Amino acid sequence: MNSERPVQQYFSPYTFNGGTVLAVAGEDFSVIAADTRLSQGFAIHTRDSSKDVQTLCGKTNSTVLGCAGFHGDCLTLTKLITARLQMYEHEHGSKMSCPAIAQMLSTVLYYRRFFPYYTYNILAGLDNEGKGCVFSFDPVGSYERETYRAGGSASALLQPLLDNQIGFKNQQGATEVPLTKDKAVFLVKDVFTAAAERDIYTGDAVIISVITKDGVTEEAFPLRRD
Amino acid sequence: MAAMNVPGFQDQLWGNGPSPGAVYNFPGIQMVLKLLSKFHQQRELCKYPTTTGTSVLGIKFDGGVLMAADTLGSYGSLARFREVSRLTAVGNNTVVGGSGDYADFQYLKSVLEQKVIDDACLNDGHGYTPKSIYSWLTRVMYYRRTRFDPLWNQVVVGGVHNGESFLGCVDKIGIAFEAPTISTGFGAYLAQPILRDALEKNPSMPLDQARQVITRCLQVLFYRDARSLNKSKKHLHGVSRVISRVMKNVLVKWNRQVTQQTLETEDSVPAGQQC
Amino acid sequence: MFLTRSEYDRGVNTFSPEGRLFQVEYAIEAIKLGSTAIGIQTSEGVVLAVEKRITSPLMEPASVEKIVEIDSHVGCAMSGLIADSRTMVDKARVEAQNHWFTYNEQMSVESVTQAVSTLRLSLEMTTAEKELCRPFGVALLFGGVDVKGPQLYHLDPSGTFFQYDAKAIGSGSEGAQQALEEVYHKSMTLREACKSSLTILKQVMEEKLNATNVELGTATPDKKFRMFTKEEIETLYKRSNNYNSVQTNRNTLWHLVFIK
Repeated sequence: MNSERPVQQYFSPYTFNGGTVLAVAGEDFSVIAADTRLSQGFAIHTRDSSKDVQTLCGKTNSTVLGCAGFHGDCLTLTKLITARLQMYEHEHGSKMSCPAIAQMLSTVLYYRRFFPYYTYNILAGLDNEGKGCVFSFDPVGSYERETYRAGGSASALLQPLLDNQIGFKNQQGATEVPLTKDKAVFLVKDVFTAAAERDIYTGDAVIISVITKDGVTEEAFPLRRD
Repeated sequence: MAAMNVPGFQDQLWGNGPSPGAVYNFPGIQMVLKLLSKFHQQRELCKYPTTTGTSVLGIKFDGGVLMAADTLGSYGSLARFREVSRLTAVGNNTVVGGSGDYADFQYLKSVLEQKVIDDACLNDGHGYTPKSIYSWLTRVMYYRRTRFDPLWNQVVVGGVHNGESFLGCVDKIGIAFEAPTISTGFGAYLAQPILRDALEKNPSMPLDQARQVITRCLQVLFYRDARSLNKSKKHLHGVSRVISRVMKNVLVKWNRQVTQQTLETEDSVPAGQQC
Repeated sequence: MFLTRSEYDRGVNTFSPEGRLFQVEYAIEAIKLGSTAIGIQTSEGVVLAVEKRITSPLMEPASVEKIVEIDSHVGCAMSGLIADSRTMVDKARVEAQNHWFTYNEQMSVESVTQAVSTLRLSLEMTTAEKELCRPFGVALLFGGVDVKGPQLYHLDPSGTFFQYDAKAIGSGSEGAQQALEEVYHKSMTLREACKSSLTILKQVMEEKLNATNVELGTATPDKKFRMFTKEEIETLYKRSNNYNSVQTNRNTLWHLVFIK
């Protein structure tokens, strides 16, 4: 690969299809949201990719995975994870907990360390104590548990906003009020509207899933479509 | 990977150091190394498309799906084959249309035909649905890209099953999506806005209107896409049948000079039959 | 059953016309030659206790190991051909670690048992590559704690496994099991269970029970799985001798031993 002459690359196994994912963990709930736009370059393939598991897919009773990046890998990964969840349930007689899915996802991603799934994953759910939990991943499986995280194309726009609004980072005299479910959903709508303003790969609609001990509720919120 | 033409870009992780995975036995490394070695000899493996087809269009209308593609097989800038069919019926409720490499499309077509025959031989009352064909294509296309031996196509799948219409698209690296309007190739830029606009104005449009808007799109594509032809084929998915029509010629009006050609449709073909 | 010995008792995968697999049945018989092992599951934890047969005073008792750790939360007691257990314990340990590696949680006791039971199945299927084509001659008691609490599972050479409140395997299993059925109650404490297990072992063992010829391990939610030291067994044993409730069962136990 160090040859002097230019090498024409005929085939790239990757592209970027955009999509933004965002998750917030509360005391006894977690919220995860993803936009429904599927684009490639300057073209928008579809404005409603919620049916295709591009960004959000219900996993178990209590866990939702958000997935952005290369759509082919997103589809394959989510399909694989869904199958693994089913296998776990058959083998061990119980649904997988969110932290267990997180660890499994990490090993699945790392298994392809040298030909990675080009996906930014965020997992939201409830942990074994019933507390809200959010796990964020890099494409090769490094992961950590956080209280809030944005991933995908507009992550760099959203994360500082969350640092300010949820993390109360570097604010003097700010009173850190615990996050309520309504506040979280409200905030998610706000930040996605902001991201759609500046990021061409984010828009059309955002699907917001709220996870509590009673299950997952889903809500769609329209964004700008240009 | 291939060297990038960026000043100061280093394509080595560290000089004289071990290559990734050379020292440790990472899980799955064997598979990955095999794939990467294929990637490096991609000149032999990854063909580039030769004979190609341009846009495929698809739109959902009230009670079905309408798909259209012209009949040109281009060889670079040479309009080489003027009478090729880029839409094919799979079973009696699905149509698959392909843009991109025509040889790869023909390969897919033959595999699909064999699948339908094998399925029919089982005679178990179960058949492929548009969705299942789409899902199968998703896996095939993704698998081939992972082997660095892609099928160089963008495939559109449309059909009707149990009264529900389906329209989806898969490309050569496994990107797949469903949408009420689909256009591949140049159509993504030229036809898609027209189709989306029409559908937004009339979400449950009748067949006539769908046909009109598709014809309009073909016309626009013929004007602006240099690899297109004013001759096309349409597939119509009714509630339980696939009808194929060859449109003789798309109405074309070049600057001032008018070439009057009537929109003529040939006999409709019974369900499941090729044309 | 041994009166009808026939050509059907040779292959491990040959059913007799009555639908029996003699080799598997013989393997189950082999367990009855092994030293006694007892497991009791209480709400506080699980206890595993085994007798060690010290066949010669020159033998080093510490080298006889019949209770092993599978993972930090699961232990395993065995009876029968101890050599056969190595493969299975290995399998159990690998599966437990693999589960932790993949899911970052501890494998349930049931799943550990299930994983080992599949091993038995595959070995019974004779193929050219497989060297060992006979059932394992060992029975295992898996005791541990998981999300469901303390759990005790028994796995036999046929690959069948069941959960038990209390189970005895090995040569003294018949008497011990009967004794367990009398002693066991749902509100049993772990301490009671430890004492009972030693008392029952004492009744069914041919040698005189002392701190060197028994092994005892417990699995509890807070301390996970751990083996008792020689000193701990000694104090436990001394106390259990003065334990009254067990005394009441003495007569029946002596009776059983007498029959033996």
